[in-house]
Amino acid sequence: MNFLQVIFRGLWRRPVRTGLTVLGIAIGIAAVVALVGMASGYEKSVVDQLDTVGIDVVVSNMQGGIMPKAFEESVREEIASMPGVGEANATLMQMLSVEDAPMMVVYGREWESFTWEQLQVVDGRMPRDARENAVVLGKLAAEVLGKKTGDKLQVEALEFDVVGIVDGKSVLENGAINMALPRFQAASGYEGRANFINIRVTDGLPPEGIESLCRDIEARHPGLRAVQAGEVVGTSQGFRMAQAMSWSTSLLALVVGVLGVMNTMLMSVFERKHEIGVLLALGWSRARIMSLILCESAVMGFLGGVVGVVLGAVTLAILEQTPFVRGFLEPDLGWTLALQAVLIAVAVGIVSGLYPAWRSSRLSPSTALQG
Amino acid sequence: MSAPAVPSGEIVYEAAGLTKEYDDGRVAALRGVDLTIGQGEFVSIVGPSGCGKTTLLNMLGLLDRPSSGKLHFRGRDLSGIGDPAAYRAREIGFIFQSFHLLPNFTVEENVQMPMFGLPGSPRERRARAVELLEAVGLGHRLDHLPVKLSGGERQRAAIARSLANRPAILLADEPTGNLDSKNSAHVMDILLRLREEHRVTLVMVTHDQELARHGTRIVRIKDGQIVSAS
Ligand SMILES: Nc1ncnc2c1ncn2[C@@H]1O[C@H](COP(=O)(O)OP(=O)(O)O)[C@@H](O)[C@H]1O
Ligand SMILES: [Mg+2]
Repeated sequence: MNFLQVIFRGLWRRPVRTGLTVLGIAIGIAAVVALVGMASGYEKSVVDQLDTVGIDVVVSNMQGGIMPKAFEESVREEIASMPGVGEANATLMQMLSVEDAPMMVVYGREWESFTWEQLQVVDGRMPRDARENAVVLGKLAAEVLGKKTGDKLQVEALEFDVVGIVDGKSVLENGAINMALPRFQAASGYEGRANFINIRVTDGLPPEGIESLCRDIEARHPGLRAVQAGEVVGTSQGFRMAQAMSWSTSLLALVVGVLGVMNTMLMSVFERKHEIGVLLALGWSRARIMSLILCESAVMGFLGGVVGVVLGAVTLAILEQTPFVRGFLEPDLGWTLALQAVLIAVAVGIVSGLYPAWRSSRLSPSTALQG
Repeated sequence: MSAPAVPSGEIVYEAAGLTKEYDDGRVAALRGVDLTIGQGEFVSIVGPSGCGKTTLLNMLGLLDRPSSGKLHFRGRDLSGIGDPAAYRAREIGFIFQSFHLLPNFTVEENVQMPMFGLPGSPRERRARAVELLEAVGLGHRLDHLPVKLSGGERQRAAIARSLANRPAILLADEPTGNLDSKNSAHVMDILLRLREEHRVTLVMVTHDQELARHGTRIVRIKDGQIVSAS
């Protein structure tokens, strides 16, 4: 028999209690994995999208809540004329409930701008011009909405013809409804307004040049923020809020996990007072008994972590199929996150074992033997 | 019995004016015990219930500290020992009235318990446990849990366990107190045999005058004091 077997035997004394404690940690870890996986999935899909569309700088008004506030479309011409700007176009983007889908991304894209370029028609055709009452659906959006070419689609005040299905090469693009900017402005009541300016900088503009361009834009248009593609996610209000929420939820889950393990181990130390007294009489040092208790709780943390990662992965897989998430992001559970989650769980176990271990070391052997 | 009051060989324990108080002095369990125990002795300790026998044994095994008085082990002051665990691990084997086997470990695993922290691989630990259990006639019970054993078998397993760490001293607190006379005699035979084989010093608390007579010396305690040491 080795020490590890002694540890498992200790945990196996009360299989149900140990199991429930492990499950408690597992649920906490699953929450962490699911939330962080969603957040990083969202981050990845935004970066992915900007990358495939080839956007270098995004200008928006971040003072609003989750959706940036709309501003005059004419800002685009002023920005387009600035040195360093290769191309600039305006986009109106909203998250709307469309027909039966609770939340869809709808883009009004400036006609003949580069943001249309990466959309590949897989069925039907593109709109003929900026005036046609037409939408093209990303292939995921088509699936979520249950629409095909030739169907009608009600978006806010107007009814549109679905003229084509497109592949946009990224989750966010594939999950979106696309139409010409003026049509969406008309449908949503935002005439003459947009909430994003997408910029491609001139070829060969160095990073410092892009940075000073961003600062120039912000200086000229108070209230607007110009953000380089790589930093869009980190500076978005909505994302920051979601991130803060997921972290506080995770923290709460972990605190609950710690209390659960601590309670279990304290009960275990209390119940095993006599056994601990016997081990002390048999020559076990207090340090060895403390490490037994600590290892038992660390093992519970480890088991909870492994089960939690599996539960989290299952949760992400289920979430991925819900209409709410589909088309926004591909949940992202990498090995790093899995490993981090297990390490966090082991840390939870060790932290929760500290006090019970200390308590066990305070037992007087003669009293413990009597009791 | 004509064993000398003070042993002639090497002295193992030397206690002088040993007292132990509980509950802030309201209970005096030991009241000035002077006792010398020599290497290889078998000291029987007798006395009425509550007279302080267990307390004295706990002092010798450092399961508890005296309130006052001196206790030397091979000339070394035991009150100066910071971690008594190492002393117990190297020198002491305990046998209790109610066996104190760990319920969720097999008999063989119970015997391995005192060997943790001592040199030796898990394989060597197991081999020694098996050997000791065979010596007490439990070779066929290795993988049983303690609940499956009779009282006599449990105490035999506990005796095997007490020798696992090759102790110099065995401290036995009423080892036959929970056994019927037949099992009692059997356990006592084994204990006497193993004491010879392993050349251990044995300090045994007992109620039984008959069993006490097996000792090389009998120490009588009353109200926390030694009343006679034959
Ligand atoms: N932990 C303790 N707290 C208070 N009193 C104790 C404690 N341990 C023993 N005593 C008291 O000390 C006296 C001696 O106890 P003990 O050594 O167990 O007697 P014996 O083993 O001879 O029956 C008894 O009166 C007992 O009640
Ligand atoms: Mg007693």
